[in-house]
Amino acid sequence: MAEIVIDGVTKHFDSVEVLKRIDITIADGEFMVLLGPSGCGKTTLLRMIAGLETPSRGRILIGGTDVTTFPPARRGVGMVFQNYALYPHMTVRENIALGLKVRGLERTEIERRIAFAANLVQISQYLERRPRALSGGQRQRVALARVIAREPAVSLMDEPLSNIDAQLRTIMRAELLRIHRAVGMTTIYVTHDQEEAMGLGDRITVMNFGHIEQIGSPDEVYAHPANAFVARFIGSPRMNLVRAAHRPEAETVETPFLRAPVPDGIALPPEVLVGFRSEDARPGEAEASETEVRGQVDVVEHLGAQIELHFRTEDGQEVVVRRPRGESRWREGERIVLAIPKKSVHFFDAGTGAALTVSVS
Amino acid sequence: MRERVLTTLHGLFLLLVAVLILFPFYWMIASSLKPETLIFRLPPAWLFRPDLAGYVKAITENGIVPALVNSVIVTAGAVALGLIVGAPAAYALARYSFKGHAQIQFWYVTNWMLIPVVVLVPFYLLAANIGLINSPLALILIYQTFVVPLVVWLLVDQFAAVPVALEEAALLDGLSRFRVFTRIALPLTLPGVVVAAILAGIFAWNDLLYAFILTPSTDARTAPVVMMGFLGGYIVPWQTVMSCAVMISAPVVVGGIAIHKYIARGLTLGAVK
Repeated sequence: MAEIVIDGVTKHFDSVEVLKRIDITIADGEFMVLLGPSGCGKTTLLRMIAGLETPSRGRILIGGTDVTTFPPARRGVGMVFQNYALYPHMTVRENIALGLKVRGLERTEIERRIAFAANLVQISQYLERRPRALSGGQRQRVALARVIAREPAVSLMDEPLSNIDAQLRTIMRAELLRIHRAVGMTTIYVTHDQEEAMGLGDRITVMNFGHIEQIGSPDEVYAHPANAFVARFIGSPRMNLVRAAHRPEAETVETPFLRAPVPDGIALPPEVLVGFRSEDARPGEAEASETEVRGQVDVVEHLGAQIELHFRTEDGQEVVVRRPRGESRWREGERIVLAIPKKSVHFFDAGTGAALTVSVS
Repeated sequence: MRERVLTTLHGLFLLLVAVLILFPFYWMIASSLKPETLIFRLPPAWLFRPDLAGYVKAITENGIVPALVNSVIVTAGAVALGLIVGAPAAYALARYSFKGHAQIQFWYVTNWMLIPVVVLVPFYLLAANIGLINSPLALILIYQTFVVPLVVWLLVDQFAAVPVALEEAALLDGLSRFRVFTRIALPLTLPGVVVAAILAGIFAWNDLLYAFILTPSTDARTAPVVMMGFLGGYIVPWQTVMSCAVMISAPVVVGGIAIHKYIARGLTLGAVK
């Protein structure tokens, strides 16, 4: 089948470098998500794999073949576009059939594949309709069916759920996974929605400003962010990062409002970001091994199952804490201490943003 | 009260415009049905017994039918060739950027303003040298000087308005660039293509100057040339002339009515996107 290798791919638009030496290997049948803010180059990378853009440098291999200079038609890839890109003058059936007819398949085979794909995405009853007469979700299913029927080795998806309303998006996400399991195509999925990325990807490539910040499973990028950017980008609410200057060579980061014991073997730069997730911080006295942050409760929000505490450190940095619903004893303006268990604390170099770790697990 | 006055004035104004536009048509049709003796009577003879003598004469004596057939051949040929050349050119201008892109587009559009007399003599000499005088091919070719620019001018914006993602999807589906053009771009811009074809057809159909010079023989003449032929002598057979005029303008009027809805759309579609 089709492993995809992106080997040192660089892309310039005029003098602007939008992708800088990208290296990714995507295994056969893997669901890889390219995640990043808009303008990070993820869509450009996808379009280069599709053959709609040409890399300025570097190679792209699909299934061992160097396809860098191949036109889209010869690459064996299918693509689902953000705005569906269904042919408005053709019925759903004709939309799915076009790519099959062009490839010279026999009529019975074409019918078989249309029936299979339509059934898989549950649009069998709409085959004679025009795209105009379908809802957003149905159109996206047709776009999926068009790719599935082609049976490409690789399927590329460019924010396919971003034009669908929130409720349907959750349903379609589960559908996408079900279909991916059923068909087993190598899939590359572009999104700026970290929740979508976490839910769908076997692995996630986090991108920013044209380079890769981290590649890893959803669990890895969540639990072990490689740098402050990933730490901020993954997770909702985002990870709290508290800036702290400290005395060099100390074993503890210590400022008037924060005390954080540092694990053995980490060499600290003079200024660090101390990171922890909202759900890992607990108001109350810290034990000696725990990190302690002092400050004041700003606002208390009740979110149903959880309470969100907006907390301000004594030097004014904002921290968000989430606690279960029962613990609603804090008043706005109250001075409290937050305690964070040692294993939930991340350290980053405040200058470079890189994670400071003993060894990546 | 004031509103009603305004509405009435508005209606009267539109009525006036309509009369101004429609009166020549009425006069043409009425004159084609009046015996010669009634045509110039003042005050006009509003009531008369219609008389088809003009049409009979135009058909039996003046050979308007073969001339109309020639006109149809020349017009259809000119429009077909113009679309074959102009539509791909417009598509290329809409979809690709290349060296000289702006210059070529400007050149097409400015050619539309070409004054026919400028090229008439050189083209006559060319046509004479390669034996194209009296051939419909000569007219079909020279009409490209205005048909192609018109087609390109109208269709560039039409093709540009087709979403790029649609064509990319088709490329990924395995279609060649040419098939993307024929299977996706053309069907989606069909209303615009029809408008361009009809407008170009009307211009070709109405041409007198080129046809008069390039098709002097009786067999090769187009309809406007036949009509022109009446005007040379001491006596102009006005009833016959008007009968020819009705037959020549009928297809133009039909074409105009057929596309009036599309014209507004075709001309503005590119402007808003």
